[in-house]
Amino acid sequence: MSRKLGRIMRMEFRLTTANKAFIVLTVLGPFLIVAVTVLPALLTMNQSGLGSPETRVAVVNADPVFLAGIEPALAQAGIRAFALTGDATELDARVLAEEFEGYLILPDDLAAATRIEYVSTNVSDIRATSALASVIGQSVVALRLANAGLPVEQVASIIQPPAVETRKLQRSGEKESQDFLTILFTGLTLVMLLYMTVLLYGQSIGRSVLNEKLSKTVEIMLSSVSPMDLLFGKVLGKGLASLVQYGVWIAVSLAFMKFVGPRLGVPLKLAITPATLGWLVVFFLLAFFLYSALYAGLGAASEDEQHLGQLAWPVIVFLVIPMVLISPILTAPNSVLVVGMSLFPLTGAVVMFMRILVGAAPTWQVWLSIGLQLVSIAAMIALSAKIFRIGILMSGRRFKLGEILRWISA
Amino acid sequence: MIELRNVRKWYGEVKAVDGVSFAARPGEIFGLIGPNGAGKSTTIKMIMNILAPDSGEILFEGRRLGRRDKDAIGYLPEERGLYKKVKLGEMLAYLASLKNAEPAAAARRIARWLARFDLAEWKNRRCEDLSKGMAQKAQFIAAVAHDPPYLFLDEPFAGLDPVATDMLRETVLDMGREGKTILFSTHNMEVAERICSRIFLIDHGREVLSGSMDEVKARYGRNAVLAEFDGELDFTALAGLAANVIRYPRYVEIELGAGVSSQALLKELAARVTVRRFEVASPSLHKIFVQLVGRGRREAISNE
Repeated sequence: MSRKLGRIMRMEFRLTTANKAFIVLTVLGPFLIVAVTVLPALLTMNQSGLGSPETRVAVVNADPVFLAGIEPALAQAGIRAFALTGDATELDARVLAEEFEGYLILPDDLAAATRIEYVSTNVSDIRATSALASVIGQSVVALRLANAGLPVEQVASIIQPPAVETRKLQRSGEKESQDFLTILFTGLTLVMLLYMTVLLYGQSIGRSVLNEKLSKTVEIMLSSVSPMDLLFGKVLGKGLASLVQYGVWIAVSLAFMKFVGPRLGVPLKLAITPATLGWLVVFFLLAFFLYSALYAGLGAASEDEQHLGQLAWPVIVFLVIPMVLISPILTAPNSVLVVGMSLFPLTGAVVMFMRILVGAAPTWQVWLSIGLQLVSIAAMIALSAKIFRIGILMSGRRFKLGEILRWISA
Repeated sequence: MIELRNVRKWYGEVKAVDGVSFAARPGEIFGLIGPNGAGKSTTIKMIMNILAPDSGEILFEGRRLGRRDKDAIGYLPEERGLYKKVKLGEMLAYLASLKNAEPAAAARRIARWLARFDLAEWKNRRCEDLSKGMAQKAQFIAAVAHDPPYLFLDEPFAGLDPVATDMLRETVLDMGREGKTILFSTHNMEVAERICSRIFLIDHGREVLSGSMDEVKARYGRNAVLAEFDGELDFTALAGLAANVIRYPRYVEIELGAGVSSQALLKELAARVTVRRFEVASPSLHKIFVQLVGRGRREAISNE
């Protein structure tokens, strides 16, 4: 590394880290991550946690014994059931007046019932409706079994279905208890982080290069250093700043999960392991260099920020595709399309990282993806360097993408 | 010494520089002079190794110009700028460090230059706070902070107030006397005339004229008169005596017609206006240039 390259790198690092936006993002990043991760967990937690107020459900035509039987199970799900009488019109009015959240009308012959109606203004409260369905369903089945002459004490064990627990088989052969939601939350959080940082740093490199043109420092810079030193100095300086930022985020997040989370009684169900964080950094660096090289070239070719935005949209498309397809990628991580996307360099970092998260990527594919990305980075740097050399000195005219592609083939 | 041999640079059909050769020697203030768009900046960018010539050679101290030679040259580009968010002192130190200047020595020189240009108290202010004139001076300091033996100044006086212009001109002349090689580019003939020891006139990418200032003047004879006077003068009345008249804000330069003596012109003038100054002089560079490239380009050449 030449000394000048080092100095440009240091200056770029300083300019990046002294920026207010960088400081704010570095400090607030962990809180955002924790918020994104913990909030869904909090929202899905039931009454025993910090959740929502209880749901009041009036049960019409209820046998007191039956009601007493379902009360404890419903209470666990945050539902307070109470007996009530009245006709549907009157009950509707009381629900609309928010006296209670909803009502159930039990038929006279409960054991023969094929459907029971639950009326509520809020039918999207899946937690409440599914708890009602399962508790009442089970109780009715128990009632039928008891009516059929089965001893009451046996009924409970007969109708208790076995729990089906998801356990993730690691490549190492270990099994972990993990459900899909946990993986989805972790995946969403980390992938969002990867996507955001690559996009932010890519654009920031593009702007930094463009700024050399706008602030007219480019000639004085090029009178001292080669265009390549300028290009690499900027990319490496920003890269270093990004690693510092990642370091802070990871350290604070880990500390939060280890020390602060348990004290607040927040169960942080995250599938984050040191290996996962390692992969996150690896794939961030790969994506960072690939997109930085691209953006540096585009920055050199643009006239102003608006022009840069126009030139960069095809680049952003490749970053957005994996975000749009995040659910199919996580649910079908070994489909041909997803495997292809995890090997294609521009989407490889984000998609392969997701596949690793769900434990679906064979080792050879991981290395193939990394290898392909490294090759693309080298190619992209050579290509961007060419655009950079020509574009950095050109000004006064807005180039179209086609013209820039011609510079490359020139 | 910096030597250009038949250097050419075309942008597509546009012949920005079309076979230019010259040499600038130590202790010399070499003027690269021509109207806007003549090829001056392109020539300087090629010497600065920012652009590569299509053909021809650029020799630096007798060998081909290379990347490491950048450190020996101080450059004041026509396009000027500093990082807005960086403090002036830091910016200057950074630019000097990119020329591989020894930090302590560079810091001393920067402090001296800042004091000399009345910028000392701006050292810890951000570059964006500088006025345009201050930024111009700062840019000059950036070019000389690493004490280079070679100095390329592209339109150094543009945007400077008269006091700063005088100060900078003295500085440049001093540096020439110290033995530095100074390449000076301008479209302003009067400035060039006052500062350059040798000139290279360029137009449409080609040489129009070159040589030492004395040689150039001698070649074009002493057939011009500078006159200052009070009163209104109808120049058409001088038709028989003057071949050409160039009006400057405070005086006129009159080129004598063939066979006309300066005494005849003086008599004619004295009869019409009150003459305050009458000087037989060598023709101005401006006039020589106009004569050589034609009156059609006069508008492009400024008399500021």
